[in-house]
Amino acid sequence: MTDLPLQPSEQPAREPVFQVRGLAKVYGAGEAAVTALAGVDLDFQPGELIVLLGASGSGKSTLLNILGGLDLPTEGSVRYQGWDLGGAGEADLTRYRRDCVGFVFQFYNLIPSLTARENVALITELASAPMPPEEALGHVGLAARLDHFPAQLSGGEQQRVAIARAIAKRPQVLLCDEPTGALDVRTGITVLEAIGRLNRELGTLTVIITHNATIAAMADRVFTLSDGRITGRQTNARRAPVADLAW
Amino acid sequence: MSRLDLKLLRDLRALKSQALAVALVMACGLAMMIMARSLILSLETARDTYYRECRFAQVFANLKRAPNAVTDQLAAIPGVGAVETSIAISVTLDLPDMEAPAMGQINSLPEQGELQLNRLHLRRGRLIRGPDARGEVLVSEAFAEAHHLQPGDSLAAVLNGRKQSFRIAGTVLAPQYVFEAMPGVALPDHRSFGVIWMPYRELANALNLYGAFNQVDLTLAPGASESGVISAINNLLALYGIRTAYGRQNHASDSRLRDELRTLQVLAIGFPVVFLSVAAFMVGAVMNRQITLQRDQIAILKAFGFSNGRIGRHYLKFALVIVVLGTATGTAGGIVLGHRLVEMYHLFFRFPDLPFLLDTRAVLLAGAASAAAALIGVWGSVRTAMRLAPAQAMRPEPPASFRPSPLERTALGPHLPATLRICLRNLSRRPWRAVFTCLALALATGILIVPNTLSDGISYVLNFQWDILQRNTVIVALAEPAAPRALHDLGNLPGVTLAEPYRSSQVEFTSGSHRRLINVIGFRPESTLNRLLDAQGHLLTLPPHGLVVSAKLAEVLGVRPGEKVLLHFREGTCQEVAVPIALLSEDFAGVVAYLDLDELNRLIGEGDRISGAHLVVSGGQWREFLRTLKDLPAARGVVIKDAMRDSFRDTTAQTIGLLRTIYLIFATVVAFSIVYNSARIALSERQRELATLRVLGFTRREVAGILVGELALLTVAALPLGLLLGTGFAAGLIYNLTTEYIRLPLIITASNLAYAVLVVALASLVSGAFSCRHLNRLDLVGALKAAE
Repeated sequence: MTDLPLQPSEQPAREPVFQVRGLAKVYGAGEAAVTALAGVDLDFQPGELIVLLGASGSGKSTLLNILGGLDLPTEGSVRYQGWDLGGAGEADLTRYRRDCVGFVFQFYNLIPSLTARENVALITELASAPMPPEEALGHVGLAARLDHFPAQLSGGEQQRVAIARAIAKRPQVLLCDEPTGALDVRTGITVLEAIGRLNRELGTLTVIITHNATIAAMADRVFTLSDGRITGRQTNARRAPVADLAW
Repeated sequence: MSRLDLKLLRDLRALKSQALAVALVMACGLAMMIMARSLILSLETARDTYYRECRFAQVFANLKRAPNAVTDQLAAIPGVGAVETSIAISVTLDLPDMEAPAMGQINSLPEQGELQLNRLHLRRGRLIRGPDARGEVLVSEAFAEAHHLQPGDSLAAVLNGRKQSFRIAGTVLAPQYVFEAMPGVALPDHRSFGVIWMPYRELANALNLYGAFNQVDLTLAPGASESGVISAINNLLALYGIRTAYGRQNHASDSRLRDELRTLQVLAIGFPVVFLSVAAFMVGAVMNRQITLQRDQIAILKAFGFSNGRIGRHYLKFALVIVVLGTATGTAGGIVLGHRLVEMYHLFFRFPDLPFLLDTRAVLLAGAASAAAALIGVWGSVRTAMRLAPAQAMRPEPPASFRPSPLERTALGPHLPATLRICLRNLSRRPWRAVFTCLALALATGILIVPNTLSDGISYVLNFQWDILQRNTVIVALAEPAAPRALHDLGNLPGVTLAEPYRSSQVEFTSGSHRRLINVIGFRPESTLNRLLDAQGHLLTLPPHGLVVSAKLAEVLGVRPGEKVLLHFREGTCQEVAVPIALLSEDFAGVVAYLDLDELNRLIGEGDRISGAHLVVSGGQWREFLRTLKDLPAARGVVIKDAMRDSFRDTTAQTIGLLRTIYLIFATVVAFSIVYNSARIALSERQRELATLRVLGFTRREVAGILVGELALLTVAALPLGLLLGTGFAAGLIYNLTTEYIRLPLIITASNLAYAVLVVALASLVSGAFSCRHLNRLDLVGALKAAE
């Protein structure tokens, strides 16, 4: 197994967590080949809140999957704290996801047979220095719903459990795939508030992919993707309070 | 082909391994049913044809001696059809390929004409014709085969103390020897025992019985009462020393054949019921999953106007394909097994022809039974599909509700890891599925115990009978009861280190309405070669007065120690006397009674007599002993313990070996199929959950652990249940096999249990690992996107 950096980088500040160069991803071959990403270059810094914006088919999910160690690039390089994700084997990628990355999914993906607390504990059992499940759930305002099963929670509550599950192992990266996609506006804002607050409090690099341009206002930086390329880069001078967002 | 049928074919292709697993379980039960029903048909057809063509008698009697003139009196008894009288005698035989003497039963052929009853079926050579034929015999086929005897070969028999050589004219079969074994012995040993036929005049002259007979076979007139005829025979032949008269019910060969048919009847019902229940559950589970996955397709079909009935039929056809596959495989399996069993029957039963006849009604019944089982299994799911409202079906199913499992509510709860909780809660959410899976695995474990229990039971009986009770090397039976000096002669045979006498006599026991003809054995209380044990295994001492009877005989007669039974002796003074039951002994073969030797002789009233002796022979002079024994004029029968035990073991090993293979295949099929199917259904149901865990950093092995964890828990729970179930199956089978004459103890050894556990655990493990291959195909990215 290659030397996977498990602890936050001790390199000088502003050393990127992710360094992506010339990234391309092509599915299929010949006439059926579909280019999902082409020539993507970007750097993500520690503690940043990044929004990847794009329509369906723009390549944002493919980029997130590659950053999350779920997929491998066809060309180019992706480095996580200097470690080459593109050249990693399956066991290394599993370890990377286990130790370094927290995932938040559009449809929450909680284990239906486990309570909120147990869903978080399931992941903390794998981690080396996790926060207690109760504390993680406290961070997302669910201290009173610890022993409820997913079927007993609302969509917003389920998504917040998913966020607690993602941050409980203290990952260096939090990847959120359309976290408000299945929620109504009010519930979506509650979820985004939790993500934003945790980003500030824990200093975790947070990447949100969404097709909802309104959400871009809460980010430090926004990348817009179209046809597999980065077509826009925007740095917000000030992160807008989530409560002010509306769509 | 309609488009809906095309969809069915493609669905089947996608689920081919699961459909095959269900069909195989179905096929196991059907194969056993078709095999058993076809064997019943084959055996009954062969038996009925044989009995009819060779005119098998219906009532049998043997006696000391009666003049031939009595034959007419027998024929005149109301209700008697045809009568055949003959001479039947036990002898020792000298075979060139055997050091030890064999035992033979010689029957006479009629002086005039052919046998009217129990006619012979010629296999090789020729029959013996004419009253003046001399020096020729016919030999039973099984005995001839065991000794590689051909027509034209010779064998020697000791007749009335004189050793005579005979040429074999032909080999034959006879309907009264379909099961050809030494009287009172459970398994055939064709090397040690054979049947011979020779002309009446030559046999009668050798035995000084010319003009007389000692064996009666007869048929009943239509509508005649068997018991009435037997009673009349007993009265008529009382003067001539009748020993026993009985109907086919008590005929050794016929009753053994009936026992086999009875066992097949049990198999023909028990196996399909159990296996089809498992198959019904499995097909139900597969269909339930399929319909859940296809909710949106059902909705679309309904939205486009397909009727509920058409959709219901579409899914029923899915089950029907499995039924057709299962029935076809089961029929093929039944035919293959049937042929193997028919070959094995050659060890036990001899018919002129025993072809395997496929019972076509059984095949139709199998198809109907499996269709019914599948229908029961899928009905609930199909009804759900038919009732599904299109609008509701378009939406995904609401999330499943869970609650803590019962185990978590105990003190153990807080210490259980999350992965174990997932397993426990999934099990308690679908308790019936868990129960059926567990029962199916228990069934697989249970059936593995049965054949080994039989072989362990037989082995125990052999050891008990021949190491603990009878500690002799050889038993020599004398042609006629002789004075005690005969013991001296037997004791002086080469190599004999110990000789103990015995007397045996056929005695009619009466107690209330119960009446039985019992072999009473008398020996000395200080005997060390003939021992009696009670139910607790304690050694019993033969009392000077009073009977020691086997517990089974006491049960049959309905008597207890201290109570008296009426004994009617058929020898000596033929007196009737009431004798008390002194003690009960434990044994596993026959219904026997024991008396002190002197007491038995006193009751018979012929003075001091012995019927033979139990001998211990030293190994050094064994060959010399056997050589002398072959020429011993006084001997009528010889039982060599080790030879008989080896033969029994050999026969048992062959039969149990086949049974073990069949049960091993069935158990493996069930265990593998149920685990595979359950794992595939779990994988399909929880694909998204398992993919999530992989994304969150669980390794493939950890996810596999969660997938098969439930099945591992069920297997662990099923194993002890299976051991109990297997013990129950074995006890049921032994109960079914137990007769007055053969009793098998229920011996469950640790190695038997370990074997069953190991096979099922291994089959489950391999199946689980096989199912986990599908984890490699988990679409991690896809599973995250779409909610099910």
